[in-house]
Amino acid sequence: MSGKEKKTVKTVIDGKEYAFPQGTTILEAAKSVGIEIPHFCYHPGLSIAGACRMCLVEIEKMPKLQISCHMTVDDGMVIHTNNERVKKARKAMLEFHLVNHPLDCPVCDQGGECNLQIYYMMHGNYISRLRENKVKKTKKAFQIGPHVMLDQERCVLCSRCVRFCQEISKSNELGIFQRGDREEIDVFPDMQLNSPYSANVVDICPVGALLDKDFRFKTRAWYLESADSICPRCSRGCNIEIHYNLNRPWKNEGRRLARLKPRCNLEVNDWWVCDEGRYSFKFIDDDNRIEGPLVRTDGKARNTGFKEALELAAESLRNSAASTDVEIAVLVSPRAANEELYLLKHVFSEQLPGTRLVFSSATPFEPTEDDILRKKDKNSNTRGAELMGLTPDSAQVWSLSELKDAVLAGEIGALYICYHDITGLPEEFSAGWAEALERIPLVVYQGTNTCPTSEKAQIIFPAAAFAEREGTVTNFEGRVQIQQKVFEPLSEALPGWQIIQSLGVALGGSYEYESAEEVFADLAKNEPAFAGLSYEKIGSGGFVAKDAKA
Amino acid sequence: MSVSFPEKDRKLVEEMIRHYPHKKSAIGDVLYLAQKHFGYITPEVELYVASLLDLPASYVHQVVTFYSMYLKKPVGKYLIMLCDNVSCLLCGAEDLLGRIKEKLGIEVGETTQEGKFTLWTVECLGACEQAPVMMINDKLYGNLTPDKLDRLLDSLE
Repeated sequence: MSGKEKKTVKTVIDGKEYAFPQGTTILEAAKSVGIEIPHFCYHPGLSIAGACRMCLVEIEKMPKLQISCHMTVDDGMVIHTNNERVKKARKAMLEFHLVNHPLDCPVCDQGGECNLQIYYMMHGNYISRLRENKVKKTKKAFQIGPHVMLDQERCVLCSRCVRFCQEISKSNELGIFQRGDREEIDVFPDMQLNSPYSANVVDICPVGALLDKDFRFKTRAWYLESADSICPRCSRGCNIEIHYNLNRPWKNEGRRLARLKPRCNLEVNDWWVCDEGRYSFKFIDDDNRIEGPLVRTDGKARNTGFKEALELAAESLRNSAASTDVEIAVLVSPRAANEELYLLKHVFSEQLPGTRLVFSSATPFEPTEDDILRKKDKNSNTRGAELMGLTPDSAQVWSLSELKDAVLAGEIGALYICYHDITGLPEEFSAGWAEALERIPLVVYQGTNTCPTSEKAQIIFPAAAFAEREGTVTNFEGRVQIQQKVFEPLSEALPGWQIIQSLGVALGGSYEYESAEEVFADLAKNEPAFAGLSYEKIGSGGFVAKDAKA
Repeated sequence: MSVSFPEKDRKLVEEMIRHYPHKKSAIGDVLYLAQKHFGYITPEVELYVASLLDLPASYVHQVVTFYSMYLKKPVGKYLIMLCDNVSCLLCGAEDLLGRIKEKLGIEVGETTQEGKFTLWTVECLGACEQAPVMMINDKLYGNLTPDKLDRLLDSLE
């Protein structure tokens, strides 16, 4: 809450007195003191619907039960969230919600994370009194958009998805059609739920009515573990949870990463994430991952192990540096973590002084942007590179086209490429590069996946993907956020900072960082923009770097 | 958009919008006008109405599907709405229903082949003092007897 200090009011909830800011809803107030009130339709990011009647509570001196999602706390209010009368009302509401529900939990993908299931076990648990036939709806397992599957029978008509489409994505595809027991969620006839934010309706659906087509039937929700991370797909840096499965490799074709879910951060992405970001993780478990360090001789790539590849790279780079006619260039990636960028900057300037840094924020992705979340810059850490002086704003750093001119003039003896697939970029950036790469005597590629650019490299280092290493990225407004290490890197891959450090050692330097956090501690000491920051300070919400606003 | 109102009806829509503080509030009137003009309301008509009132199409579809008297499918020239609630049933509505079905050769919800009659049963029409009652299009007919019903149906062109 910004602006004026709000008045606090004293309210009794379940026999205990608390102070809350005036205007807090009873549901939120109770939640803040650890009392969960069941609800379907209420969502903190959406308007209040008051549709599900699950959050009824008793307020003394009020004749009827009140919905706690809408009623606000006030001085002297005495609220009961769990007395016999409330419990009875909840049970009755659940009975209504379940009248036409198909009870197909065993084949429902929401099973295990379904509010209807959870609330029934906690608050319902009755023997059905229903003798009538259930009302059948028309659309079951029906695809209504590129990412979303609809099952009308499972719907409890909370209208969260409809409100999301009205208020957040403003695309208005969904509505509640028909009336009474025939009411159903659907898209307008012949329309698709295809806004760039469509899959958020799956997250907010409290039941199994809207499901993620990509994740459906891949694995059960209770087999998944979760770790906090930051979406790598654009410079917004949306906070996400990575849901993964390591113990049951026979599920989901052995893919470790099962799905990404948005994680609420009111400073960055609220409760949402765009579809581009949500499905951006496929490369991590892709078949084309680079699994070991490769050295290519006579067109054949061979896994030599890290030691040999590093030594060869160091020797070749040294030879190149010894020549006065040619320069060494490093193509820095705005997708690399701050720690990696910091080491890159230091290792090359200390071990191979005069190395030319090159920076490009070009990506193969369409530069989509809107005023909800998506940013045009599809890199996670352009701002971090900028704050460390690694972008062409600083005179010594080249752009991709300056590099190409130098390559074509025969001035580049060796090129170290981080993550960029130069030949896979849009035409304006990639033009001429396929031939240009052939003209560089030594190309070293460090990346996660095999690509046409890596195919042209003589030495290839397998780097860990963002979910396989710890690190920080800086979003467009200068917020430094942590990407946790979720699982081990695939095969022999190593975190980027570790590869650079080992290369530095092979080049004769002494670098002895044990973890990304240690690198960051040095980074914070030496880079003024990051002064005073630490992993602890960044925490789960991120921290805006100093001078970042300038 | 392939459907649209003629100039005269477009003026009417503007008039309807002026009756309300918000443009959106005219939706009921405009949809009814659309039904009169186009016969029934298709998704295409909904899109047109949505464009007239600056509303999302899904919102218009919600309103159309909520109210049963917005017609989603074509009906015959004469829409027979026979009350089947208690007062009318006690006064012989069941016999009347059987009579209509037999005479027109259709079941409830169906339309005669030449497209002249559609038969519906409806809830209370609010005229129990004249039970049994029915409506044909916009007109109410009360104190019905089988004979009266026969004469009425025969008189319709």
